[in-house]
Amino acid sequence: MTNGPQAEERLEQLREEAWKKGVVPGKGVDVAGGPIPRKPGYYGQPVVKPPVWTWEIPLYFFFGGMAGMSGVIASGAIIFHQVDLARVAMWLAAVGGAVLSPILLILDLGRPHLFLNMLRVFKHRSAMSMGAWILSAFGACAVPGLIALELHIHQVLPGTFDQLLRLVAGLLIFGSAIFGTLLATYTGVLIGATAIPAWFLHRTLLPIHFGTAGLGSAAAVLELLGHRILALNFLGFYAAGVETALLIWLSVDKHGIADRAIHEHGSGWLIRIGEVLNGPLALILRFFSFVPFAAISFLLGALVSRIGWIAVGKVSGADPESVFAAERY
Amino acid sequence: MAEAHPVGFRWVMKAKERGATIIHVDPRFSRTSALADIWVPIRAGGDIAFLGGLVRHIIENNLFFRDYVVHFTNASCILREDFRDTEEGATGFFSGWNGEQCGYDRRSWVYHGDGGLSFPERDLTLRHPRCVFQTLRRHFARYTPEMVEKICGISPVLFHKVAEALVAASGPDKSAAICYALGWTQHSKGVQIIRTAAILQLLLGNIGRPGGGILALRGHASIQGSTDIPTLYDTLPGYLAMPRGDGSEATLRDYLAQHTKPTGLWNNYPAYFVSLLKAYYGKNATAENDFGYNWVPKITSNHSFFEYLYDMADGKMEGMFMMGQNPAVAAANSRFQRTSLSKLKWLVVREMVEIEAATFWRDSPEINRGELKAEEIDTEVFLFPAAGHAEKEGAFTNTQRLLQWREKAVNPPGDARSEGWFMHQLALRLIAKAKQSNDPVDEPLRVLNWWYPEDDMGDPKMEAVLAEINGWYTDLQPNADGVVFGLDREGNPHHGPQVDGFPRLKADGSTASGAWIYSGVLGPDKINKALSRNSTDYLGHGWGFAWPADRRIIYNRASAKPTGEPWSDRKKLVWWDQGQRKWTGVDVPDFPPDKSPEFRPTGNERGLDGIPGDAPFTLHEDGLGWLHVPSGLQDGPMPTHYEPLESPVHNALYSRDTNPAVHWFTRQENRFAPPGDPRFPFVLTTYRLTEHHTAGGMSRFLSHLAELQPELFAEMSPELASELKIDNGDYISIVSLRGAIESRALVSRRIRPMHLNGKTVHQIAMPFHFGSSGPVRGDATNDLVPISGEPNVTIMEAKALACNIVPGRLPRGPAFEEWIKKYVPQGGPPNLHPEQPPPGAPCGRAGGGHGLDGKIDNR
Amino acid sequence: MIGEGLQSTNQRKHSYVQDHVEVGFFTDPSVCIGCKACEVACKEWNQVPDDGFTWSGNSYDNTGHLGASTWRHVMFLEQDRQKGNQVTGPMGLLRSQSDMSAVASAEAEDPFRWVFLSDVCKHCEEAGCLEACPTGSIVRTEVGSVLVQNDVCNGCGYCVVSCPFGVIDRRPEPLHDAGGAFKCTFCYDRQKSGLVPACAKVCPTESIVFGRLDDLRARGAKRVEELQQSGYKDAQLYDPTKTSVRGIHAFFLILGEPEAYGLPPKPQIPTIYLKSAWASAFATAIASIIATLVGFAFFS
Repeated sequence: MTNGPQAEERLEQLREEAWKKGVVPGKGVDVAGGPIPRKPGYYGQPVVKPPVWTWEIPLYFFFGGMAGMSGVIASGAIIFHQVDLARVAMWLAAVGGAVLSPILLILDLGRPHLFLNMLRVFKHRSAMSMGAWILSAFGACAVPGLIALELHIHQVLPGTFDQLLRLVAGLLIFGSAIFGTLLATYTGVLIGATAIPAWFLHRTLLPIHFGTAGLGSAAAVLELLGHRILALNFLGFYAAGVETALLIWLSVDKHGIADRAIHEHGSGWLIRIGEVLNGPLALILRFFSFVPFAAISFLLGALVSRIGWIAVGKVSGADPESVFAAERY
Repeated sequence: MAEAHPVGFRWVMKAKERGATIIHVDPRFSRTSALADIWVPIRAGGDIAFLGGLVRHIIENNLFFRDYVVHFTNASCILREDFRDTEEGATGFFSGWNGEQCGYDRRSWVYHGDGGLSFPERDLTLRHPRCVFQTLRRHFARYTPEMVEKICGISPVLFHKVAEALVAASGPDKSAAICYALGWTQHSKGVQIIRTAAILQLLLGNIGRPGGGILALRGHASIQGSTDIPTLYDTLPGYLAMPRGDGSEATLRDYLAQHTKPTGLWNNYPAYFVSLLKAYYGKNATAENDFGYNWVPKITSNHSFFEYLYDMADGKMEGMFMMGQNPAVAAANSRFQRTSLSKLKWLVVREMVEIEAATFWRDSPEINRGELKAEEIDTEVFLFPAAGHAEKEGAFTNTQRLLQWREKAVNPPGDARSEGWFMHQLALRLIAKAKQSNDPVDEPLRVLNWWYPEDDMGDPKMEAVLAEINGWYTDLQPNADGVVFGLDREGNPHHGPQVDGFPRLKADGSTASGAWIYSGVLGPDKINKALSRNSTDYLGHGWGFAWPADRRIIYNRASAKPTGEPWSDRKKLVWWDQGQRKWTGVDVPDFPPDKSPEFRPTGNERGLDGIPGDAPFTLHEDGLGWLHVPSGLQDGPMPTHYEPLESPVHNALYSRDTNPAVHWFTRQENRFAPPGDPRFPFVLTTYRLTEHHTAGGMSRFLSHLAELQPELFAEMSPELASELKIDNGDYISIVSLRGAIESRALVSRRIRPMHLNGKTVHQIAMPFHFGSSGPVRGDATNDLVPISGEPNVTIMEAKALACNIVPGRLPRGPAFEEWIKKYVPQGGPPNLHPEQPPPGAPCGRAGGGHGLDGKIDNR
Repeated sequence: MIGEGLQSTNQRKHSYVQDHVEVGFFTDPSVCIGCKACEVACKEWNQVPDDGFTWSGNSYDNTGHLGASTWRHVMFLEQDRQKGNQVTGPMGLLRSQSDMSAVASAEAEDPFRWVFLSDVCKHCEEAGCLEACPTGSIVRTEVGSVLVQNDVCNGCGYCVVSCPFGVIDRRPEPLHDAGGAFKCTFCYDRQKSGLVPACAKVCPTESIVFGRLDDLRARGAKRVEELQQSGYKDAQLYDPTKTSVRGIHAFFLILGEPEAYGLPPKPQIPTIYLKSAWASAFATAIASIIATLVGFAFFS
C-alpha cells in the first residue's frame, strides 16, 4: 500500500534509481485502496467449519455435567448412609440427566424427529456416539435407580422385596455414578477431538474442566438446596481448586495464533470470566465461609465457561490462520 | 472465447496442449487471457492500428507467404489511375467521398480496365506501382510499432513478440487461426477490423487451410442461422439481396442484372433467386409473372432496428412483434429503447420469462423515476409464453456453418409454444383473412405457398420446412424416388424429388429452394444430414451438415499449391489427383471438381468457367482473395484506423478522427462526447460473463446461474481506484451522455491503465446482463451505450465509449434528475462531436438503403 | 483427454460400483477456465438449492466456499506470480526493439496470473466426518467415496466440526430439506448406473478428471512433471498421504502453496486426538470418584 514505512522506503529506492537511470522497469508499490486486500488463506474464508450448535449445547454441557456428577455424590452418600442426600442427588441426576439433557440435545438436532438414530450404531471412535450411549446408559441407571430408592425409602414393598430393592437401587446408583462421570467428562472429549484449533489444542484440559465443573456444580446445587454438609464443602474446595489450577494452565500455555480466539477475542473473555467465577472467586468465597455465594459463583462460572468454549469454537473455526498455525502442535 | 464459448474453447486448450501458441488481444484480462500464452492489453478501438501494424511488419520484412499471395490473392491486380488512398495528405478519406450523400462513389476503387472484376490485369511480380500489393504497402506504411504504441498502448517489444509468434505459425507447414467475436464487430468500423484480419491471414496464407482461417464466434446459439436464413431486413435466404423499391430494380430482369456477376459462383444468382421465389409462391410463380417478383417486398430505406426505433420513438410505428429479443436491456441506449416502446400501440412479446421489454410499462428505472407513468402509457402488451430449446424441433446453425438438428425432448408446458408454431398459426390466419379480402395490397399474402403439414400440436413439421430449404424439383414425378413430404396440407401432391445440391438449381422455375446455401442437407437419399451424429474424420464429416455442400473448410482449394499438390504433407487437405483428373482430399473440395489447376480462361467465359484453376475464392468474380476490396463495402477498400466515435484522443494517423461513412443517429437522447472530453474522461468497454447469457432472460431467472454472478460490477484498475478513492466492492455511479447506472467496483490488476501518446487513459469494463426484473437485478449497462450505425451493417459501437465515474450510489426516484444535471450537460444541440452531423443531415440519420451494394448508386 | 469423445474416462460407461474399484477425482487448474459448469451441473443433477445471492467482490467467486448447498466451488486467485511462461507483464516501459530478452526479465519483475481451481469434498482415505457420525449415516461406498445417507442423518452437526477441510455443513432453514448435513455424494446414484459424476462429465477442458484412483494418481504425478518441465515452477500435487488423513480420493494439482487455496498443508483426522482426550476424561472420572469418597469418608 502507498501508506506505511516499507512503501515509503521502496518509493525512495525508486526515486534514486529513476534519477540515475531515467527509467525503472518493473513493479512499483501496491497502490492504496487497490486490489482486494490480501487476506490470509483464500480471501480469509474459513479452512474448517465453525460449529453449528446453538444455545442448547452449552446448557446441555452444564446440566449433563451436573447431573452426571450428582450420581457420584449419590453413590458416596449411599455408601456413607446419607440416604436423604442420596435421594436429592438422585433426583438431580434423573431430572438433569434423563429429562433436561435429552430434551436439550433433541432440540439442537437439525432433524429432531430422528433422534433415535443416535442409537443405530455404537462407534468408539466417535465421541458423540459414545456420548449418546453414555447418556442412555446413565438415564437407564438413574431413573430406575431413583424409583427404586424412592420405593425403598417409602417402604412400599414388603420384607425381602425391599432388601432386593435396596440392592437394586444401590447397583443402579453406582451404575449411574460410573456413567455419570463419563457423562460429565465425555463432552470435553467431544469438542477436544475435532478440527477446531482452539478446541483440539486443549483436548486434555477440557475433560478435566468439564468433569470437575460438573462435580462442583452438583455439590453447589445440593448445598443451595439445604444440604450444608462438610463432604460437599470439601468437594466445593476441591472443584474450585482444580478450576483455579486450570485457569493458570490456560493462561500460561498459549499457542500463539493457533488459539488466539481464546486469548485475543471477546469470546475468550467468557471462558476466563467463567474460570474465575468457578475457580479463584469460588475458592475465596468458600474460604471465608460464604458458602451460598461460593456455590452460586461456581454455578455461574460453570455455565458461562461452557458458553464461552462454544463461542470460542465458532471464532476459531472461522479463522483460517489459526488452522495453519495449529499444524505445528 | 473461454468466457462466451467455454465448450468450444476446449479445442483451443487441446491445441495448446499440443504446442500451439495462444495469443489473446483484449482490453481486459479475462478467463481466456488466464490460459493464453501471451495477453496483449489493447486500448478499446485500436484494433485496426494493431492489425495494420502487423500487416506492415509482415510486408516490410518480407515475411508473407509469397506463392500464396501472388497466386491466390488480388495482390497482383492493378488498380485504376484515379484511385486515391487515405495516405494522400493523410486525410483519412479515399477517393470518391460525397459528403452530401454521406457515402463514397466507389467507381474509382475497382480494377483498372473495362473487364469489371472479371479477368483483371495482373502483375505477378507485385512491382507495378498501382498493383494492390504496393497500394496496400503504402496504405499501411505509417502503421509502425511506435505508432501502434501511440494508438493502442501496446509496447513495441510485445508487438514484436506477437508478430514473431504469428509468422512462426504460418507458412506451408503451419497455420494460424484468428478467432473473434463482438469485441471486433461492435465498432463503428467493425467490418474493417475484420477485414484487416482477413488481409493478415491472406498475406500469411492461412485462409482455406486446416488450422487456419478466421473464425467468427457468433453471439447466440443460432445467430449464424439467423443470418443464413436471415432475420435481417436487407438480405434474403442465402445472402441474396433484398430488392430495392427506388425504381432501380422494378423488374426481375433489372434486379438480376444488378446482382448477377459475370464470373464466379454468383453468376448463378438467377438460379438461386428464382428457386427462392418458387419456394415462396409455389405454382403461383410462373415465368409469365416474373416468378412473382412483384409480390416480393422492396426496401425503400434502411429498415434496420435502430432506424425503425427512431420511427417508433416519433410515434410512427403502431405495433411490434418481439421474439427472443430484449432491447430494454440488450440494445444500445436501452434507456431510450424503453421510453420508445411506450409509444407503440401494441407489442407482442414471445418469451420464456417476463422480460424487461414486457414490463417496461410498470416496472423500469423510468417508471421508478417518474419519467414514465404507467397510466399514461397506451401500449397494450401481449406476452406469449415461448417453448425452450429442448421443447421444439429444428436446427441450430453454429459458428462453423454447421447445421445440427435438434429433436424435441419434451412437450412445452401449458400454453408455451415454439416460434415455428407461432409463425405458422399466424400465417394461416393472415392468409385466410387475405383470401377473404379483395384488396390488392393483400395479394402477396394470398399467393404465398403455405403448404406445411403440421403435427397434432399445430407445429409445422420442421423437417418439411428443411426439405423446402434444401430444395426440390417443382415438376411432380409421381413414381419418382427421393420425394420428401410430398403432400401439402390438403393431401395433394406438392412437389417432386429433392435436389442433391445447389448446382442443380435452375432459373427456369423447375426447381425451388428456400436457401441455396443449405441445399444438400436433405437430398434425394431422404437422410436429414443435420441429424446425423456419426463423425468419420477429424473434420467431422458425418456429424451434422456444414454449408455449402458439407465443405468443412471453405476455400479449401487454397490448401494446395497453384499446381495442385498440397503445400505440405503435414497440412494437406484437398489436392488435384492427376490420375483421376479431379480434386480430392480429406474435405469436400470447394472448387469445381474437374477444373484442372492449369486451366486459364480466355476472357469470354461465364460463371465458374471464368475462374482460373489456381483461384480458390470462387465467390469473387476474379476468384482471388481480396486484400483490396474493389466492390461491396461502404467505407473503404482497405481498412483504415479511425478512432471510436467517443474517444479520449484524436486520430494519430489522419486528420479525420472517425469513420466518415458512419451513421450517427443524432438525437437529443443520443449524444456523443467530443474527443478528449474532460467531463467523460474514461473509456468504457462492455463484455459478457460465462455465467450469464445476453440480456439475462435465460440466466438471471435461473437460481443456479444467478447466484454465480448476482450483481452488476465494473472492473477497474487499482491505479484508477486509487485516484478516485474507490475501494473494492464500493458502489459507484457511471454516467455517460446517454444515461447513468449504478454498479459495484471490482478493483483488479486485470485492467491496466493505457499510456497513449504521453497521455494516461483509464479503461473500465462492464458486463451488460442485468435488468430490472428477475431474482437478481441490476441496472442495464446499455443505458450508457449510444446508438450508431457502422456503414455496412448498421451495428452499434458498444465496445468503446466515454464515461465518467462518481463514487457512491445512484440516487433513485425523482432525485435522479437533480443528480444527473451535475454530470451531464442539459440542452444545446444534439451533435456535440465536431465530426457529427446535425439531425436529419446525411449520416446524421441514415437515408437510403444499404444492401450489398450500398446507398450510393454506382451504376 | 479432450477430444477422446466417448472414450474418455469422463464420458464412458463403467462398472466401478459392481467391481468395487476405488475411484477418484484429479483436478488440474492448469487447464481450468473457471467456467463453473461443474458447480451448475452438480446443482442441477442433485437438485441442490441456491446458496444465497451475495456478491463478494472476491474476483469472480460469489460462491465462497463448500457447504451444505455448495458441493463444487470454483476458486479464483489473482496473484502477482507467473503461470508457466505466460506473458502478462508490463507494457510500455521497454522501448528497444531488440529488447526481447528483456520481456522475460520484465515478466519476472511484474508478473500476474489468474488461477482457477474447482474445490470439492476430498473423500478422505481416513474421513473425519465418517468417524464422527453417531448415527452411522456417513458410510464408505464400494468405490471408496464417503457418502451421507440423508434419510438417516438427524442433523447433530458433529461431522461439521470434524472435517479438517471444512467441507460438510448442516443445511439451515428455510432451504429445501433443511436440518441434515450435506456434501458431495460423488454422484453415487449416477455411478451405480455406470455413469460418471456430473461435474466430470460436463467439464469442457477435462480439468476435473474422473477415473480409477490409481490411474489418476499416476496421471497426476506425470502431469506435475510435465508442467514443471514447461515452466510451471510451483506446480505440486496436493494429496496429503503422509498425514493421518492418509490421502484424499479427490486430489488436486495446485500452483503455489496450499494456504492460498484455503487448503491445510497438513490436515489431520481429529480421531488422532481421542487418545489423549479420553485419557484425560478417565483420569478426571477416577479423580472425581476418589475426591467424593474422600470427602464423605473424612468430612462427615
